Amino acid sequence: MKKTVDVSIPLGPVHPCWKEPVRLKCETAGERVLRTELELGYMKKGIERIMRGRPWQEVMFLAERVCGICSVVHNMVFIETMEELSEIAVPPRAAYLRVVANEIDRIASHLIANFSYCYTIEHETLAMYLLNTRETVLDNLERLTGSRINTAYMIPGGVRFDILPEDAATVLADLVKVEEEMKRYVRMFETGPLIALRSRGIGVMSREEAIRSHTVGPTARASGVPECDLRLRHPTYQALDFEQITRTEGDNFARIMVRFQEIFQSIDLVRKCLDTLPDGPIRGGGHCKAGEAAYSGEAPRGELTYYIKTDEYGRVVDIAIRTPSIMNIEACAHSMIKGATSVADVTSTFISSDPCVACNER
Amino acid sequence: MRSFIYYIREFLRPEWLKNFFFAKTAPLVTPSYFKDYPTLTDKECTGCFKCMMICPAPGGIEVLRRKDQWVPEIYPGHCIRCGLCVEACEEGVLTSGRILDITRRDRTAFRSWYHLEVDDALCMRCGNCCVSCPINKQEDPQLGSSGTSSSDEVIMRIEGGRVRILHEEKCTGCKTCETHCPNGAIRVARMVEGVHEEVEA
Amino acid sequence: MSILQDIKNVVRSRSIHVAYVDVGSCNGCDIEVLACLAPRYDIEQYGIYVHNNPREADVLLVIGSVTPQWVDKLRAIWDKIPEPKVAVAIGNCPISGCVYNRRGTLTSPPAEKYIPIAAQVPGCPPRPTEILNAILSVAPLIFKDYEEKQS
Repeated sequence: MKKTVDVSIPLGPVHPCWKEPVRLKCETAGERVLRTELELGYMKKGIERIMRGRPWQEVMFLAERVCGICSVVHNMVFIETMEELSEIAVPPRAAYLRVVANEIDRIASHLIANFSYCYTIEHETLAMYLLNTRETVLDNLERLTGSRINTAYMIPGGVRFDILPEDAATVLADLVKVEEEMKRYVRMFETGPLIALRSRGIGVMSREEAIRSHTVGPTARASGVPECDLRLRHPTYQALDFEQITRTEGDNFARIMVRFQEIFQSIDLVRKCLDTLPDGPIRGGGHCKAGEAAYSGEAPRGELTYYIKTDEYGRVVDIAIRTPSIMNIEACAHSMIKGATSVADVTSTFISSDPCVACNER
Repeated sequence: MRSFIYYIREFLRPEWLKNFFFAKTAPLVTPSYFKDYPTLTDKECTGCFKCMMICPAPGGIEVLRRKDQWVPEIYPGHCIRCGLCVEACEEGVLTSGRILDITRRDRTAFRSWYHLEVDDALCMRCGNCCVSCPINKQEDPQLGSSGTSSSDEVIMRIEGGRVRILHEEKCTGCKTCETHCPNGAIRVARMVEGVHEEVEA
Repeated sequence: MSILQDIKNVVRSRSIHVAYVDVGSCNGCDIEVLACLAPRYDIEQYGIYVHNNPREADVLLVIGSVTPQWVDKLRAIWDKIPEPKVAVAIGNCPISGCVYNRRGTLTSPPAEKYIPIAAQVPGCPPRPTEILNAILSVAPLIFKDYEEKQS
């Protein structure tokens, strides 16, 4: 008879699959994973402590550096919170340009998430294809904002740079190319039998578990949670007829496919924005006042909430950030990985929930 | 078996074969629209310190006095290449990528002003803030060591046993008073607003 | 001795293993290091192999301002890397602490306090080409004639 030994396997903090330091302790019986424990705290920098007592032009850069992968959305949600509490109106052209920057950043973020997943299941060909597509996407972000990552594009009452007409044409032409490439890669991912072996039916999280663990973003949408995309409530996205993408399987495959479909949706949104870009100023002016507001926006990984209290000169008195990854990786550790039939699936399941440790710990 | 056929078909595409045998790394040039470290143009710096005041990174930029002339200096390793200094400068002394051209064309700018506030409950009336202020020293060289002054042109002075702020608009936001205050009673608020002037038709 | 050294020089110049350790950054430099893998930059055409195992690495990329959790662990990772080894600081964080080095911060930069840093790549984040150039220019300086320099 085969003898099974119960061991506790620590994964991380420095692990070939983890891009950031995080520690997973898996208690196993043979190959079965019985319990997973998550150990965080390797990246705690105290950003919220640094932010206190500072005006928006300094907090903006700190908010952006909460997470480098989805920096545009952190910038956007922080600035929109400041606008809400000090009642600054945004010109329509600036609102559309914000959506353009945000969606291009979302494409890049989803591409890096899917790249990591393909890299983890050792499908390097697809991973490298996706990474190369990401470079094309980042080129366009650079054309719009002037830098690849940490763009500092939005300011209260508008955006920093206008888009030149010839740049808009280049962005649209590049997006056509990206869409064609992505269609091929998605077909590769959907039909590849080796990928299906390592993705379908692995790391399943049911809808009830997803709702109970407060999962957000693509991870929740892959489990079939309805109405969980906050872009549905954003006025600019409402004008663009945004619709949520939902799948029902709840396994690794569904999570990656939701991200792939959202890439196509984002390409459509960017195209729609650039086609119907209204004329007008890109900055409305207006300075920050005293106030208190909580505001949520949809980051590539899910719901992102900023609570800000300011004094009369627009300095941040109190701030709290709730990032999406913390719910997702807890749900991942406690619902998806638990009961996995193989230790080899732990890393790929964890990566499929798109963990962002820098977001979590700030 | 299906996968074998799939991959063979994938690798026999002429595009893939061409890439595989003839691909070279594209020449790695930095595009012209990249916001690199700001560099100096031939315009003369007036020493208004607006770039220093808007800089979000600690120690990113300093405006130094060199041979009768103000020169802004960027410190790589501290500078985060955000380009706010380029936009804040009214004279166009700094340039980075194409920020300067775009802001000139769109007439976008940052308007900044500073507000001084003194917490009377914490203030000890020592006058350190008035003495340390570089603008005060310029306006009234005879400034008393306790912060009293006979000039009406100073930013602040000790008057009747408490700090009175006279000319807030002269403040450059350097926060020297804030660092010299032993009790943290004086606070400088740097307020910035992004504005866009409409082009007159 | 010298023939052996020549062989070692040739082998080392075409086979550089890179490990990266994130000691509290914003993730931006992390993914810029990953972007070096992309076919556009193609770090592997220079014989550089990026993975995340300190035990077989030659070059350690330090990313991020050092958080309290990493103060002792960074040294431990550095000690695990076999000789000859070199550490490169990527981004502003390990050089100066970037925007985190302010009142109220929990980090304690620079990284030079804990391990010897041979090269610095400033930028927030640096472009992949800058990272690539830094690794390519610093590796031969350290690895060429390493044994002869030691004796």
